[in-house]
Amino acid sequence: MAFGKVSVKNLTKSFGGADGKKTVIFENVTFDLPEGAVLRLTGASGCGKSTFMNVMSGLIKPDSGSVFYGNTDISSLSESEKDRFRAENIGYIFQTFNLLSPFSVIENVFAPLAFAGKLTKDYKEKALESLKKVEMGDFAAKMPYHLSVGQKQRVAIARVLFADPKIILADEPTASLDRASSELVKTTLLELNKSGKTLVLTSHDPIFDDVKPDIEFNLETGKIS
Amino acid sequence: MKYIFILKAVFHSIKHRKFSVLLSIFAISVAFAFLAAIGCVSFGLAATAVNSSLTFPLVVGPAGASDTTLVMSTLFNIDKPFGTLDYETAEKLAKDERVAAVFPIARSDSYMGIPITGVESTYISEISNGFEAIESGLKEDDIFGENGRNCVVIGSKTAARYEMKTSDTFFGSHGSVGDEDARLHDFEYRVCAILKAVNGPEDFAIFTSLSNVWKIHEHGHHHHENGEETEHTEGKITAVLVKTKNPVFTAALEREYSENGITSAADTAKTVRKLLTYMNKAEKAAGFFSYGTLFLVLTMVFVTILSSINERKREMALMRTLGIGRAPVSLMIFLESFFISAAGIVAGITLGHSLLVVFKPWIDFELGINLEPFFFTEVEIRGIFWTLAAGTALSFAAMGKIYRMNLVEETAKE
Repeated sequence: MAFGKVSVKNLTKSFGGADGKKTVIFENVTFDLPEGAVLRLTGASGCGKSTFMNVMSGLIKPDSGSVFYGNTDISSLSESEKDRFRAENIGYIFQTFNLLSPFSVIENVFAPLAFAGKLTKDYKEKALESLKKVEMGDFAAKMPYHLSVGQKQRVAIARVLFADPKIILADEPTASLDRASSELVKTTLLELNKSGKTLVLTSHDPIFDDVKPDIEFNLETGKIS
Repeated sequence: MKYIFILKAVFHSIKHRKFSVLLSIFAISVAFAFLAAIGCVSFGLAATAVNSSLTFPLVVGPAGASDTTLVMSTLFNIDKPFGTLDYETAEKLAKDERVAAVFPIARSDSYMGIPITGVESTYISEISNGFEAIESGLKEDDIFGENGRNCVVIGSKTAARYEMKTSDTFFGSHGSVGDEDARLHDFEYRVCAILKAVNGPEDFAIFTSLSNVWKIHEHGHHHHENGEETEHTEGKITAVLVKTKNPVFTAALEREYSENGITSAADTAKTVRKLLTYMNKAEKAAGFFSYGTLFLVLTMVFVTILSSINERKREMALMRTLGIGRAPVSLMIFLESFFISAAGIVAGITLGHSLLVVFKPWIDFELGINLEPFFFTEVEIRGIFWTLAAGTALSFAAMGKIYRMNLVEETAKE
């Protein structure tokens, strides 16, 4: 099944404020994102880019509308089915706070699939291989607090490489990184995209300026191009 | 693998908050140790009291002595005796056809805080379980006979505590037990025999013959602490322990000897029941405070867990984002909370019983009870059950809170 194809239909989300007034984050958003395409979310900080990603992945319920992965409406899945779906099909990379502090670097790589009960026999070798691809093989046994922000980001990418998801959601993935680390992150993401992964990206980093998205959605204006 | 990860996350969180976790465990364990200790002590005291009441159903003492004073001063060696009565009372009781045996006792001197009680050889035969050691030439069934001059028979724990053996000698102090002003006598006692343990107050006692008690006082070393101080001239005793032929006779004799104006009498079983009722009340009150403390501590654990949920919302939201389900995430919270309650109980049981082992000699000696430090009383077992139940309920409440929460949405709103 082509889970990499994403169809967003009439998606609306608002949050109730402390004063009881509703703030609409996005309204009636509709687009089709083919498998292996790039969607770039733009807009100022706080306009709702992360919320849109969370709604896309089924973590936050929309007020109305649906998100289809292939023919599967994510909102029709039960909570545990959504969890398994995310663990197997969606890879997340955040600006910061990417790793789970109780687990070592290598455990962070395979933790999502371990919880989903989807580990293969050679999972340790594969996890180490993923870490080596982002030059973090020597840090496999370290705990997250031993790592710099850039190193944590690389581990998050190794986690995506290990899980081999259909869709990658990258939320300001290079915002806290130096030039070299940013280049590594960008190259890896584009390689993954070239290999057929659908990429949803938010970034203010000019390093991504030369990446031509298939769809650009500005959450401030609501314009889709 | 999933469960190893869950346990890792639980222990990481516990390690991360070790100070508050240790404090919670310590607080639960102290409350629990108290519960374990009062349960064990009151059970030991009750068991000793009941055993003693079975041996000597009736105690007769001088007029004016209360039931509790009579029983405590004679069977437990705790209270001071109240005045004296004539030896004839014992003789009269011995002749009564309702009486199976009488054991007159006279108390006045002490050694290292232990009362030295004057008794007849028949009393030693009655309470003893044989001898650990006995001087040669003495008859086991007539220990204070012809060769028993200046003799004392000591309990096994008295011997162990003061490292006494047969033929050792010591001087007694005249005056109240434990009285710092007590004066040394020039009367030298000799350890003639050491009793085998009977697991009762007798293990911490020193017995001599009635004639020795009278002899000491003939020498004129009378020291009057107050009006209640006993003075044993020839033919004076402190009390008579009586074995009756059946309980109906006990009640009748108690009535007769309480109403004659010369003596007072206590039905041991009735008095022990009364004491046990007070003890139960005290135990309940102590238990109430222990349960109250446990409840407060468990609430504190709950509040700490809730605040730790707030601190870790982002991490748990990340778990959810990565596809780690609500169930494992809430299970982590449950296990954390449950671990604290369970660890508190285990630490409390260990602490309580260890304290009982440490203080056993002191409790045995001061209260005259034979404590079983590893005995689990009903109070303690009930305590384990309720603490576990309350701990589990609070853990479920914390788990429920996290289960219902949309962590990602909550984090997004922040």
